[in-house]
This record gives sequence, C-alpha cells and structure tokens, in this order.
Amino acid sequence: MGSVATKTSAKGAAEESTPFPSLSWFERLSALMKDNLEHYKKLGYCDCVADFCVTDGGPKGSPWIARVTFDAFEVLNVEDVGSGKTPTPDFMLEGSLETWRAMIESISDGDGRPALDQTINYLSHFHAPMNVTSDDPLRRDLFYRYNQSLQSFISGSSAFDTVFS
Amino acid sequence: MANLGRGVTDLKLTPSDIPLAGDDLARFETSFEHTKEVWGELLEENGNRLQKGNLSLHWMNTEGSAWNKSRVKPSSRGLTLMDINRPDVYGTVPKIAPHRKFASRGSIRDQYLNRMPDVSDYTIMDRDEVWADNVETLYEEAVARQWKATTDVPWDEYEDIVKLPEDIRLASAQVATFLTEVEFVAADMPAKWLYHIPQDFLEVKMFMVTQMMDEARHQEVFRKRAIIGGGLLHASPGFEWALKVILEAPNHTMGSFMLNLLAEGMVLTIFRSGEMIAPTQLDKEIFRLTLQDEARHVSYGVMQVKNYLDKHPDRAAATEELHRFADIAEQVMLTTLTEPTVIEPLAVLLGGGIKYAETKGLDGVAKLWDMLISEYLQRCDRVGLDRHARCTLPRTAPWAA
Repeated sequence: MGSVATKTSAKGAAEESTPFPSLSWFERLSALMKDNLEHYKKLGYCDCVADFCVTDGGPKGSPWIARVTFDAFEVLNVEDVGSGKTPTPDFMLEGSLETWRAMIESISDGDGRPALDQTINYLSHFHAPMNVTSDDPLRRDLFYRYNQSLQSFISGSSAFDTVFS
Repeated sequence: MANLGRGVTDLKLTPSDIPLAGDDLARFETSFEHTKEVWGELLEENGNRLQKGNLSLHWMNTEGSAWNKSRVKPSSRGLTLMDINRPDVYGTVPKIAPHRKFASRGSIRDQYLNRMPDVSDYTIMDRDEVWADNVETLYEEAVARQWKATTDVPWDEYEDIVKLPEDIRLASAQVATFLTEVEFVAADMPAKWLYHIPQDFLEVKMFMVTQMMDEARHQEVFRKRAIIGGGLLHASPGFEWALKVILEAPNHTMGSFMLNLLAEGMVLTIFRSGEMIAPTQLDKEIFRLTLQDEARHVSYGVMQVKNYLDKHPDRAAATEELHRFADIAEQVMLTTLTEPTVIEPLAVLLGGGIKYAETKGLDGVAKLWDMLISEYLQRCDRVGLDRHARCTLPRTAPWAA
C-alpha cells in the first residue's frame, strides 16, 4: 500500500501516482503542507490528532485508518493504526472508499477546490456518507476549529495523481 | 420624576438633546479633588526631581523581582503565552486577585499599591468565576487564526450569488441577516464582563478581546454577504429575547453558559450547516472561516463552566442555580429556534428551493434540530451539568415529532 507508481495523468504528463488508501498518500499531503508553510501559517495553528478512516479500505473490506498528528503548521507523524489504536485520536473522519474517491476526484477536477457537495464538512455534517466521531465533544470540535486547515490539507491532493485500490 | 432617571429622557432624544455631563462631571471633579493628596504628591515628587535634573533610577533595582531568574525561551511556534507563563512567578494565576490595580502580575508592585487608585469596577475577584484551563492556548490560536473579511473571501465571485434562483438568493440573504442580528451579542456580552475582571486574570481578558474581534468580523462578513447578495432582509423579535438573556444573565458563568455553550454551540451547528448548504463557493468560504472561530468560543465556554462547577465550594447549589438559569435560557432559545426567519430559509436551502422546503427542506431542518439538541446535551455532560432529564427543549423538531 505504500508504493508510489508512475502513470500518465489526465493532463497528459507523466507523473508519480500515489495509491489511496495508503500512508504514502497522507505523507504526500504532509510534504505539501510543509512546502506551503506560508499558506498554513496564514490559516493559523492546527493542533490535533486526526484519524482518517476508510471504512472498507483494509484487507477484505475491513477499516483502514491513517493517524495524522498535526502540530502548528505541519504534520509531525503519519502512521497506520489498522482498525484502531489507543490512545484515541481527537476525532476520526470516516467514510467508505467510494465516498473518499468521489471527494478526491472532485478535488482534482476542481484543481484543489472540491465541488459544493464534496467538502469534508458537507460530507460529514449529517453523519453520512462521512462521519466525524470522538469520545469527547470538546475534542470532536477540533474538527471544526481547524476545518479550514484540514480541508486545505485534503485539498492538497489535487497536486498529484491518485490511484485507487 | 427625577427617580425615573435618564431612561425616560433617552426615549425623547433628538440630536440637540445629547446630554451634557453635568452632575456626572461634578462628581468626577469631587472624586479627583479628594484623592489629590495621593496623586498630587506623586506629581510634586516627580516634578521636584525633574526640576533638579535628577534621575530616580529606582526601577533598576531588581530586588523582589524575578529578573534574570526566570529566563524563558520561544517554542517552535514563536513566544507564546504558555512559554512566558512557564516560570511560576509569571504563570501562577492567583485564586483571588490580590488588588484592584492595573499593575502586572509578576512585576514589582506591592510597595506601590498604597499609592495607586482602586478600580472599583473590578468585581470578579475569584479566578474560578472566569477561568478556563484552555484559555491561554485558545488566545494563541485565536490570534493565529485571524482572517480578513475584506480580502480572505473571494468576493470577486459575487456574481455567482447574483445568478442564483431568487428563492435561494432570498434564503441565503435572510440567513446572513439573521446572523448579523445575533452575532454581535457575543462581543457585547464579554465586553460587559471584561471591565469587571481584574488584571491578574489577564489571559481571560485577552481571550475575551479576541472573541469580540471575531464577532466584529462575523458581523462584518455577514453584513457584506447580505448586501452584496441583494440586501438585508428581516429582523426577528424572537432572536432578541435570547440576546437579552445573554446580556442580563445574573453572573458571568450563566452568561457564558447561555452564550458560549448553548447559543454559540447552536450557531456553530448552523455555520456547519451553512457550509453544507452554501449555494456558492464564496458562501462556503465564509462559513468555513466563521465556524472555526465559533468552535473556539464554544471550547472556552465548555471549559469555563466546567471549571466554575468543579471549583465551586458548594457545587450542588451552584449546579442547581445553573439548572434554574438553563430552564429559562432553553425556553427563550426555543423562541429563537422557532422563528420563521431562521427555520424557513434553512429549509429552502436544505431543500434546494422553495418547492421542496416543506418536504426535503423541513426534513433537513429536523435533522439539524436533533443535532443541535444532542450536541448541546453532550456539552452539558462535559461540564458536569446533566440536563437530560431536565432539558426543556424538544428533542425532535415540532413537525417531526
């Protein structure tokens, strides 16, 4: 899951494609966050531990989760936490592979700007097709406190091609 | 008649009736004449020294200070309040404010206190009436996450709004109008209490100022949104009663409960819904920016009310008082929640137009209602106020029951 392949992008240029779901996909977003430090500084601190879950993205349709630790304007760590790990994250954003795929493709089609119905808040607001879970309402609210940064982080995926497993 | 006071006179104000200070000025003069012995003496000492060309240099005496004993270093994100509060001498917030002066916590001040005036309006002398354990980090986050309504919203895309169907345009303008009416109370309420908080609780005062700035920006952005989208629409009497409860709450914690935990919590949900139902990218950007501010205010409110209850010497009585306040606050909030000027435009936007407002739209608002109430109850749980049995808000929307 962590490999990076090369394919021809829709734009015709040979680009490195990154599989989704994979740690490398989130690591690539983390690298982009670092490259765009000024943009993230403008958005402000983002301090949270977020689990991004593809509910059917693991072996035999099991959940696949990447834990991303945000600190100020960068990502400190990306790790595979399988189907869950303690201590719990501040919050988990979860959705099916189909939902993630539609969102990522929309972000790509919009050059980083998802369609109106493909933002992380839109998709999770009514708990479906995505959902934000937490064992603490105060920690869940971090999803909202840093929403602009988190959307920007995910929207960074327009900078590279994604291949879906 | 004199006892009726200026309230009655104010009702008849015309531009030519702007009152002169009159008796207030006389009282001011008397007050400062009475204290002239102290401040006049300071003036005389300083004046004499300066006339002789002498320097005092007493301020170079570091005895009684933490000078050079408590070196602090910036962290990776700069020099934060948390960094400078690491040494106890600067970071220990007293349980009871030791005086009503302006002198900074951690400065050499005790020897000067008897020559300083008291600020009698500093009345919140117990830290636990206003403190929240996350207030320093929230202040830093607020400062770091400021944005500009004038330039950080893609106003150049405003024609996308103009091209919207009329029912969607009207609904989004009404939501913006509603928000201009309610948002600034979250600046007025902290402003009311800010002046009563002594300087030793500076972190709370500073956070409150960021909240006021946030709300100024919200007022600004929704006013701009309404006007560029066609204009401001209808004000709502139901909203104003909730705002009155916030401003007239008997103490800061009750005001904070109503404002930050109940009202801002609900507005946060409405902002998230606003992002969801935004008919343009411009609107989406507005709601994403505002919802993160609102979530900070909710976070302060939750932790502040929790701290108040946790530290209160008579927790049971304080909890019961808060329940009594919530009994009324929830009912007044219900008056707001049932106003057509908020429910109906949301239904139009959630339904995708007036045609579906009573079906898909109201179904969506019913979901929103469930979310508002369940998140409110979760936040009450988090502060240690179990409202499940006592909550007077209907768990489901009236039309969905």
